[in-house]
Amino acid sequence: MELNTFANVRVLFFAKSRELVGEKETVINYPSRISTRRILNELLERYNSLSVISENLILSLNEEYLDINDDLIINLKTGDELAVIPPISGG
Amino acid sequence: MDELQLLKDELSKRDAEIAKLKMALQEKEKQLSLRTDVTEEALKPLKQVNKLSNESISRYSRQLILPELGVTGQVKLTNSSVLIVGAGGLGCPSAVYLAAAGIGRLGIVDYDEVELSNLHRQILHTEDRVGMSKSQSVATTCHRLNSGVEYVPYHLALDSCNALPIISQYDIVLDATDNVATRYLLNDACVIAGKTLVSGSALRFEGQLTVYNYENGPCYRCLYPKPPPPQTVTNCSDGGVVGVVPGIIGCMQALEAIKIASGIKSSFGQRMLLFDAIDGTFRCVKLRGRQPSCPVCGDAPTITQLIDYEQFCGAKASDKDKAMNILEKEQRMSAKEYKTILEEKKPHILVDVRQPVELEICQLPNTKTINIPVSSLQKEEKISELRDRINQLKSNGDDKVPIVVVCRRGNDSQSAVNTLKQQLLDNNIEIKDIKGGLHSWSKNVDHNFPQY
Repeated sequence: MELNTFANVRVLFFAKSRELVGEKETVINYPSRISTRRILNELLERYNSLSVISENLILSLNEEYLDINDDLIINLKTGDELAVIPPISGG
Repeated sequence: MDELQLLKDELSKRDAEIAKLKMALQEKEKQLSLRTDVTEEALKPLKQVNKLSNESISRYSRQLILPELGVTGQVKLTNSSVLIVGAGGLGCPSAVYLAAAGIGRLGIVDYDEVELSNLHRQILHTEDRVGMSKSQSVATTCHRLNSGVEYVPYHLALDSCNALPIISQYDIVLDATDNVATRYLLNDACVIAGKTLVSGSALRFEGQLTVYNYENGPCYRCLYPKPPPPQTVTNCSDGGVVGVVPGIIGCMQALEAIKIASGIKSSFGQRMLLFDAIDGTFRCVKLRGRQPSCPVCGDAPTITQLIDYEQFCGAKASDKDKAMNILEKEQRMSAKEYKTILEEKKPHILVDVRQPVELEICQLPNTKTINIPVSSLQKEEKISELRDRINQLKSNGDDKVPIVVVCRRGNDSQSAVNTLKQQLLDNNIEIKDIKGGLHSWSKNVDHNFPQY
């Protein structure tokens, strides 16, 4: 398995995460083989402001729920779409 | 003595009259076709039908001819009940479409009364109903559209005591609320009572929709086991919302409820809809299923009865902002005191910590206001402008430079005072905020000043 390959992943921010990050989307260069926990952690390192809601959001990859877990290693490829989704409470 | 007796007689006569009037009033209220002030008491079971009247056939003809719905679906709708919790931006559109479609019984829960600032999105209320119970207002409007539906307005706040008795009387529940605590309460109550929860939410230009506790799909806690820290929760009053956004999400809640009630399956049992009104996009995220480890819907639940949700969430079960008390008394001034400062032309610096868009709505009559939004108080370029002004005043010979901080309601201004102190680290300044903010200015100084 190649160790040093990376993928440019499009990251979309919704609801509160959009407000905290200050943008709707960005591109992050992630390692191609990565645990889902590290996907979140790298996001939090890059955007400190997100840490306040780090336990109150779900992630999706290509519109499928992503379980945040140390042991779950997945393959990312350029063009993948990661979404950060905290709940909206208003109405 | 005679006079005393006369007064006593007069009094008892009047008492009798009052009692009579009260009776008449009660009678009149009963006669009204709409219920008022229903509590959690048990309703009579919804009358079940097995065929449609000619009137119903005419009324519902355009949906009856849809093979997916048909007479069977319409009969099921007529025999179903839906409870809408929240008669606001989501509850209004969902109620009106459920009523129009001919749901059998529609319960509407809301503790609140209609305000003018509701009307841009809560479209079933009217100008002449400002101050009226929202649940009553929704029932009244829907009754005019379809009097064949039974409406049950609940003018109360759903809580851990009344939620189960009320919810268990309905087939489907709609979460059209505006706060985190009630969302967790509704989720748990629906899991415990075995009801499907059609959940919608909206803020600014975004909306979300999911159907929880439906066909082995997740519940709200499966996705969001922990409530968000209260300071990260934005309500419509502070964040703003475009009326059409909850309108669209509320319509979709009605649609999913109609699909479930009529026997068509819901499309959002394990999916979340994300609506972005600025981009005009609808995204659908496939969710994970029910979590066996979920504390409420899991295999070994630890929450088997309702808990204290305000405590769990650390926030009130409403979206009303309450006045905070962060600063000491001597660090605050009243709106009237600030008026005096302006009138006496005392040298000072006014810092308005609202968002720039809010300054376009209204501003205090001070031409030299510095605008530093509360979210930008840490930014050096914003603070340096303030420092320049402080130095300017100091060079004029004022030793203690007074800084006055203002916001909309007097909450942000208090935290801003503390942040500014830390940022400026200057002993030769005196920072105070205006207690109650612009709302207090409007109320106590200038009645013509707009409130928003």
